[in-house]
Amino acid sequence: MEAIKPKNLEEVLEYKSKYKGDAKIIAGGTDLIIKIRKGEENPKALIDISSLNELKGIRETLEYIEIGPATTFTEICECILLNKNLKGLKDAARSVGSPQIRNRGTVGGNICNASPAADTVPPLLALDSILVIEGKGKKREIYLKDFFKDKGRGELEGDEILTKIKFKNPLKNQGLGFYKLGLRKALAISRLSFAVFLEIDEMNRIEIVRIASGAIGKFPMRELEVEEYLTGRIINENTIEEAETLLERVIFERLKGRQTAKFKSIAAKGVFKKALLNALYLCKGVNDFEKN
Amino acid sequence: MILKKIEVNINGRDYCLDVEENLRLIDLLRDKLKLTGTKEGCGEGECGACTVIMGGKIVNSCLVLAFQADKSRIITIEGIEEDDVIKNSFIEEGAVQCGFCTPGMVLAAKSLLDKNLNPTEEEIREAISGNLCRCTGYNKIVSAVKKAAKLKRGGDGE
Repeated sequence: MEAIKPKNLEEVLEYKSKYKGDAKIIAGGTDLIIKIRKGEENPKALIDISSLNELKGIRETLEYIEIGPATTFTEICECILLNKNLKGLKDAARSVGSPQIRNRGTVGGNICNASPAADTVPPLLALDSILVIEGKGKKREIYLKDFFKDKGRGELEGDEILTKIKFKNPLKNQGLGFYKLGLRKALAISRLSFAVFLEIDEMNRIEIVRIASGAIGKFPMRELEVEEYLTGRIINENTIEEAETLLERVIFERLKGRQTAKFKSIAAKGVFKKALLNALYLCKGVNDFEKN
Repeated sequence: MILKKIEVNINGRDYCLDVEENLRLIDLLRDKLKLTGTKEGCGEGECGACTVIMGGKIVNSCLVLAFQADKSRIITIEGIEEDDVIKNSFIEEGAVQCGFCTPGMVLAAKSLLDKNLNPTEEEIREAISGNLCRCTGYNKIVSAVKKAAKLKRGGDGE
């Protein structure tokens, strides 16, 4: 195995074009090093991007918030650019593993490993994030929701790497909520998580809602049926309850035949509701503040 | 086996080393440099016994490859002074039993107190949440960190 520490992105793409799928990108290494030691991965080369500034950090452009894939979970938690309407993304990053894991693990790794339980993926899905993917002499964009192909597999060619994650900065009447159910607080793998992005008008009518679940299917995914039901409705106890019931049915159908189907579909209702209320609080909080 | 040249500063001392490409930081510390204060528990980032401070942040040295640590500054338990306040507080509060988790715990506590000299109990528990102790439980460790914080602030620790 060859260990490579490129000086810039250009060099990374050069090596990726040379080795293709035989080279693995390593950033935090919190998953990959374990897999290599277990013999589950046996790359010819490792390309380390963990200290590559070009692929790190969070920036704000005119339209988007852009996150470098080698940005650590700790950096997301501490970023002042991510305002309180994006609390759900910070909550998700804070719920990852332990301080040690958050100091090394990266958001790009979370996406590219395509684990069903990746904590920061549901909030990024609810934000309708776009991935920028580059190879030598090529560059493309793909919606995160279209990226996952199977458990552990995202749509990346052998010579490509993820170079940017971007999403629109929420407006004042928009909010991103997150809630995760784990077996214990620290180091617990996510058993179930939800992220909800919400925009409501002054009449409490839902203008936009995007719901993403984690650890339910083969990969984190949007819950389109529930989104469709909620869009345009006035948010109140009744609509929330209807949405919960619909969600329970959708998830039970998806997991049918698995032992966890009943538990997960019932638990999902509560976890979804908490994420929704967290999002609602962010939208309303700002509205109330403005009235004063 | 291909060797990779790295430069690294450990406990204030500069090293220029040739390392195997798949060598982990913990192996570099323990096997090559004989800094055996860093312990290996699970080898999977769950227990925190191998915690070291790298670039000012705690990391699991079992989940860092040595070549990734090139050009970085690392503090291991051997880099903590003999009369260090945190170390002494651990001893005085009885926060050490078998001692296997202690190096990681002390470094996690140092990393917290370097940034925050007035941590709440919750912040202390959060700071050591990646470090497992199977002997004393966590209360005495939390007391030790509280005491160290107070001493560092200039109080008498009581």
